[in-house]
Amino acid sequence: MTRTGLRSSRVTAAAAATTLLMGAALWGATTTAQAKSAQAADDATFTIGMTNEVDSFNPFNGIEAESYEAWALMYDYMISYSAKDMSPKPSLATSWDTSADGLTWTFHIREGVKWSDGEPLTAKDIAYTYNRILDGGPESASWGSYLISVTDITAPDDKTVVLTLKKPNATLPLLPMPIVPEHIWKDVSEKDVKTYSNEPKSADQPVVGSGPFKLVEGKAGGSTYRFVRNDGYWGGEPKVGEIDMRVFKSEDTLVQSLKAGDIDFAEDINALQVKALQGEPGITAQEGSSPGYEELAFNTGSVDLKTGKPLGDPNPAVLNKDFRFALTFAIDRQKIVDKAYQGAGLAAQNIIPPAYKTYYWTPPSKDTYAYDPEKSKRLLDEAGFKVGADGFRTMPDGSPIGKLRLYARSDSETSVSTMAFFQEWLKDVNIDSKVSSFESSKLTNIILDGEFDVFEWGWYVEPDPDSMLSYFTCAQRGNWSDSWYCNPTYDRLYKEQNAATDDAKRADIVKQMQQILYDDAPYLNTVYDTIGEAYRSDRWEGFVPQPDPGGILLFQYGHANYINMAPAGTSDGTPGQPQSSDEAGSGQVMIILVAIVVAGAAVVGGWLMMRRRTAGDRE
Amino acid sequence: MSHPVDVAAYQPESTSSAPPDGSDPASRPSRAASWRWFGRKVAGSTATLGFIVVVNFFLFRVINKHPERTLARGRAKTPEQIQAVIEKYGLDKPLPEQFFVYLKNIVTLDFGDSYQYSQSVRGLMLDRLWPTLVLVGTSTILSILIGVWIGTIAAWNRGRTFDGVSTTSTITLYSMPEWWLGLILFLIFSTGFAGMPRMFPLGGLKTIGTDAWSVNGVVDQAWHLVLPVLTLTLAYLAEYSLIMRSALLDEMGEDYLQTARAKGLNDILVRRRHATRNALLPVVTLVSLNLGFIVSGAITIETVFSIPGLGLLTTDALRIPDIPMLQGTFFVFSASVVIANLISNLLYGFLDPRVRI
Repeated sequence: MTRTGLRSSRVTAAAAATTLLMGAALWGATTTAQAKSAQAADDATFTIGMTNEVDSFNPFNGIEAESYEAWALMYDYMISYSAKDMSPKPSLATSWDTSADGLTWTFHIREGVKWSDGEPLTAKDIAYTYNRILDGGPESASWGSYLISVTDITAPDDKTVVLTLKKPNATLPLLPMPIVPEHIWKDVSEKDVKTYSNEPKSADQPVVGSGPFKLVEGKAGGSTYRFVRNDGYWGGEPKVGEIDMRVFKSEDTLVQSLKAGDIDFAEDINALQVKALQGEPGITAQEGSSPGYEELAFNTGSVDLKTGKPLGDPNPAVLNKDFRFALTFAIDRQKIVDKAYQGAGLAAQNIIPPAYKTYYWTPPSKDTYAYDPEKSKRLLDEAGFKVGADGFRTMPDGSPIGKLRLYARSDSETSVSTMAFFQEWLKDVNIDSKVSSFESSKLTNIILDGEFDVFEWGWYVEPDPDSMLSYFTCAQRGNWSDSWYCNPTYDRLYKEQNAATDDAKRADIVKQMQQILYDDAPYLNTVYDTIGEAYRSDRWEGFVPQPDPGGILLFQYGHANYINMAPAGTSDGTPGQPQSSDEAGSGQVMIILVAIVVAGAAVVGGWLMMRRRTAGDRE
Repeated sequence: MSHPVDVAAYQPESTSSAPPDGSDPASRPSRAASWRWFGRKVAGSTATLGFIVVVNFFLFRVINKHPERTLARGRAKTPEQIQAVIEKYGLDKPLPEQFFVYLKNIVTLDFGDSYQYSQSVRGLMLDRLWPTLVLVGTSTILSILIGVWIGTIAAWNRGRTFDGVSTTSTITLYSMPEWWLGLILFLIFSTGFAGMPRMFPLGGLKTIGTDAWSVNGVVDQAWHLVLPVLTLTLAYLAEYSLIMRSALLDEMGEDYLQTARAKGLNDILVRRRHATRNALLPVVTLVSLNLGFIVSGAITIETVFSIPGLGLLTTDALRIPDIPMLQGTFFVFSASVVIANLISNLLYGFLDPRVRI
């Protein structure tokens, strides 16, 4: 029976091939593991695990935090931010001065800085980068808000950059745009920039930048990225030879990898994971305070900006500022932190987090944000929202309020549970409501169409408060103002602080603005965020949190910790012993190989048995 | 691709009567009738595809009319900046013009540029296609081979231990959520759980720094794919083993098997040369239908093992939503299912001429 024989021998071949392949795979795996530990001894690799991809290595295109981190490794900035409180500090610019009228800013640029391809980095590159942004197009869509009221950017010589403004802008010198090399980017036209990937073609041709590391491997949306040290970096030689980033689509896998030692750092993990990791030997896990907050935002009056007519269908109750203010005391912020956030976070007050000391509005008394349902009820009564016959409050004219619509973000667990608490607390003060969840992109549209009463969301706050403050101006309605808040006094103060040239005076105005927001209550802030981070402290040390103390370790403003970090034990003079990540010893590999060979033998044996059983029928 | 195992759906009426090779040649459809049937099938598939193309365009615009709002949140502040964002993504053009550009892109298989990654959708999809193809393709082939074998043996030994054990265990594996099965295997073989050696890597497609096309790189990737392939193979097994088992049981009572035995053939040869071949017909249908789902992959498994395939690309795109990317992936997914359906129809007509009427 030749045909049967033929088919069976194919099966055998396949089995044999599988056995070989598996064996080879294990052999390959052990050799790469060995290669990795050998390399670790003289030039360490630091691997970061994260849950989201870089969306573009082109600094004019990406919007994800991971992309910002990649640019921070690849490029330099004219100004960087201190670890302590994120105040501006010298980077490519060693110093800067302002004219008395605040209309001319002169930056003095560091000399001797080189691009990774050896070309000198001069003031001309900086002016070129900023002018690309000023000229409109996709570059402006990304970074234009940092150059508002700037009319002209020039580099009179290689070590000076001059910004000319049409009116003073207090946000300067906040200039978080990566500086790109003119000699490379001049070939990327305005039309092409929106699809220019800025990725290395091969490991030998890294992307040209001036930062402490060079991108040698990686694609936008890919799952691994490699950066190697830029030797001779002007800002101090990194003690790490290579930074690798790995994307995990599941947080469980990410944490397991850290425990197993496959990665050195786990970025943005949830509070429960942090708690679990805190007991692990060799791992340090923490909740770093990040400069952001979460809020319950009201619809304070959505309008069609063209016609001035009301837009959407807000409940009349939330349009009343006394109603909103009364609810300040109906919510237990500490309980949200403890229950919804598993203790990861701080009870929030206003829109500027305490990390920004200069602009932080210290609550005037301990009762300013107290949880006091009785006070809330009293204020509601005084404002005319009396309890009706059905046990729920009515409008001052006696008409029922109905159910307030509370919108949470379905992609955030904390958002959904915060809203569930809020619903309970509203019930405590005799207000009926219902909770619904929407995807972020859907909720964005609902907000801009004015079809909501309350929603839950959050903001990151930049080192300069201007952007955050602007989101409550009348001009931002229909754009970034998600509460539709509009108050002429607030607007006037916004303009004043933006043009203020005296820092103390500006801080004073910013605090007044927060007082107004407290009284008008477009937002009830709930929690100042933290970001869960964990790293192998048995292998690494030297991280400085930002803000210091209590802040985050990576994904900061700037790249300071990529230069600070060092193999454990090296900073006090003793050479580090980085543990090899793969400890599958040769004994284990032998066991596995034997198991596979046995399995292969079983398959072959089975086939032989079968042949024997059919032997009688063969010709 | 967890479809309910609906055995009845894959039972062609023909198999219950005489086997195809025993059909009367005189009753074969005429050549013209065959061509008409062929034309009808192709036209039907083309129409389906055309319908999908149109729905694709409007569906994502109904989901989110203003993707620029998500894309620019927190960044673009001035009206000029917003306008620049709108222009960057071509959202300023009137809808009919956008539709025309979209149609042109589909015909040229271009698909435009991704909002999220600022690169051509085609390039991104090609990058992500092969991990999915290797993962789901290998698992499908393995589960077909093993599943058909299990089904055959189970049916032939109906009611005995092998039948009971294999049917129960394949159904158990089939009813487990794929991601759960994946996580369990992952926990046992990758994390060093309960003192087990860490045999396989913790997800991903390759070790960072290895060249994907070197010998070491290929081996490294094979090593990374062992667990996910194993998970999917186990999960798919029941689909094939159960169909095969029931199809073969139907054949086992047939007279022609008695004839074969009367010729003096041994039991295994009767099974292999006569019964199995006729029982394979419904399996062929199932296989060709499932092949259409290979590209859409196994989103949950890609998530558990962090494998950058087409499934992950699609779920990530839904977040923005990245309309050109979704249009591209949905087109490819639906086109592959439609084409696989067409092929299975045609194949069936080829295997069983009575269908061609």
